[in-house]
Amino acid sequence: MSNLQTAPRQSLWTRVTNPKFIMVYATIGLFLLIYLFGAIPYGDVGFTTLRTFTTLFVDNAYYGISAIGMTMVLITGGIDLSVGAVASLTGMLIAYGTTVMGIHPLICMGFALIVGVGLGLLMGWVIHYLNVPPFITTLTGMFLARGVCSLISRESIEINHPLIDDLASWKIYFMQLKDGEWVKIKPSAYINLNVIIFFVMLLIGIYLLQRTRFGRNIYAIGGSEQSAKLMGLPVGRTKVLVYGFNGLCSVLAGITYALYVKSGWNLSLQGAELDVITCAVIGGTLLTGGVGYMIGTLFGVMLKGLIPALITFNGNLLSWWGKIATGLLLLLFICIQRIVVKTTDRRKGKKRAPVKS
Amino acid sequence: MKKKLDFSAIARSKVTWAVVAEALILLVCLFVRPEFFSISYQPSTGMLYGNLIDIINRSSEITIIAMGMTLVIALGGTDLSVGALVAVSGAIALKFLRWDVTIYNTPGDYTVYSFALVIIVPLVVCILMGMFNGFLISKGEMQPIIATLILMVCGRGIAQIITNGKQFTTQYSPFRVIGQGSILYLPTPIIITAVVVAAVALFVRKTAFGTFVESVGINRKASRLSGINAQRIIFIVFTLTGFLSGISGLIYSSRIMSNDSNNAGLNFEMDAILAVVIGGTSMTGGKFSLVGTVLGSIIIRTIVNLVYYFGIAAEATMAFKAVIIAVVIVLQSEPVRNYFAKRSSARREAVKGGAKA
Repeated sequence: MSNLQTAPRQSLWTRVTNPKFIMVYATIGLFLLIYLFGAIPYGDVGFTTLRTFTTLFVDNAYYGISAIGMTMVLITGGIDLSVGAVASLTGMLIAYGTTVMGIHPLICMGFALIVGVGLGLLMGWVIHYLNVPPFITTLTGMFLARGVCSLISRESIEINHPLIDDLASWKIYFMQLKDGEWVKIKPSAYINLNVIIFFVMLLIGIYLLQRTRFGRNIYAIGGSEQSAKLMGLPVGRTKVLVYGFNGLCSVLAGITYALYVKSGWNLSLQGAELDVITCAVIGGTLLTGGVGYMIGTLFGVMLKGLIPALITFNGNLLSWWGKIATGLLLLLFICIQRIVVKTTDRRKGKKRAPVKS
Repeated sequence: MKKKLDFSAIARSKVTWAVVAEALILLVCLFVRPEFFSISYQPSTGMLYGNLIDIINRSSEITIIAMGMTLVIALGGTDLSVGALVAVSGAIALKFLRWDVTIYNTPGDYTVYSFALVIIVPLVVCILMGMFNGFLISKGEMQPIIATLILMVCGRGIAQIITNGKQFTTQYSPFRVIGQGSILYLPTPIIITAVVVAAVALFVRKTAFGTFVESVGINRKASRLSGINAQRIIFIVFTLTGFLSGISGLIYSSRIMSNDSNNAGLNFEMDAILAVVIGGTSMTGGKFSLVGTVLGSIIIRTIVNLVYYFGIAAEATMAFKAVIIAVVIVLQSEPVRNYFAKRSSARREAVKGGAKA
């Protein structure tokens, strides 16, 4: 990019206070608010410990990984409903391959990677070149992946392999210095491989979106595909690659989920696609495309994990309230989004075009 | 003057390809298993039996919802909440079908509440939920897919809380008629579906409503400027879809004589959207075809029934569905249809040229 003239570097403060980040700040604010809301009544029973905080990531790493790919897809103005099914298929391939066929799990993972990324690229190709709506294409992809999953096995298969056991039980404990000796903090808090994969993917996602031409193209396509095409941007290639990247994320989510539950089941992660979309939307990504940040998605995932944690700490509520709370959170968020969009539009002095999806 | 058949227009029409697809599926079936088409009369129940009857019977839940979904998609939106509404409707109906446990201790032909209440309350609640969707989308100007995602996430939670997480059963015979009875030798759901389809068709085609829907779907701003109350149209369409989901929920719960908040209406939104799209209504909004939607719904059910009929694992249905739907949507995609249309018009040109010479 040496031939590109870059704009003069703004100061950190100007960059951070840029109004385009307002939705991300709203998410972070809401997260802190709900965290406080939980911390006051349940602080003395361990809600504020580091353990509860890290468990948020340990329990939701697979959602987070999938949400990273989904954020990119949503920014292009598309949608991918196949993520849950592809993740489930990945788990199934690993379980069937290692337990039933006796293949090394790494080979199974590699195979799943090829299948998932291949399906993603194929769907991207169909969406762009055959002009089939993303909703329908990825819905078909979801049916296909779930169906193949059920064809492999209709029962849950346990994964028994030393490598998988090692990877799943590998943990980094948080330590503290006590009497000149490093000891585990109490109650013990740890992060595992899944959390590390999540954060690595998050960094890759941020880098791709904010620091590469590929990322600029994604935002441009989401803003207006027609204009992007007229500008001579590689619209087709970018879209196909985005769906391919999402396929990669789905497979990684499937691998982390397999490590998390150590089994493969054809009906696992049913409906996960909409949870993942919910995470991204709560994180400030617009489904009309063109707007969204990975940091927002990170907090969206954390918010989504916080609700079941709160219900567990309460102990009296049916777990179904979790779903209702998520729905209400979504409603609250969309309302905030609407207000923000309306006020910024008014400030710019233009009338908002009717919403269409 | 007699109007000449325009093959290029026929090739361009998506409904044609839906008919071709259904015909091909049945044709293959005719060669492999001719007995698939047999229809027999069972005097004891006064009902006709046969696979063809069963396909139409079992497709009725989706067909009823898809009637509303057609209008929603014609407006350029989607309604993801229908499946959850089916669960809510069933949960409320079964809640009102409770009997006095101090008198009877087995399910039987008795209820505490009147049967009218069992029918009306679920429908009213579903209408209210439809109105909630409609309000968010019309007045709130939210994206339909996000606004309906709220109830999709919440709905099943609400259904579970209505029944307190329990699964009720009933043996109340008037309720059984809705899903398992017969009218005029045909299963009741077929009659209900026929009435719904006729009513919706009359409503949209004999009044200006259908044209208004198409107009708003093509260009909301232009329709507003030409005096159409777009907000009211959107509100009515989403309310109608809620109502139809309620009817569908009653049929579903009457078939199983129980409420199943986890599985009732699972993936109905996906099936309904697929039915509409296979039926030739574009997801970008505009023109719609109710006949095509009915056909689309029947195609989906035909695939399912064939899979059962040939004794393939029920869970594998999705894979077959995916393959056939993939073929249909590829056939219907713009480039492919244009290719066929071009070929047929080229042939006509050639014939014309030959006649001149």
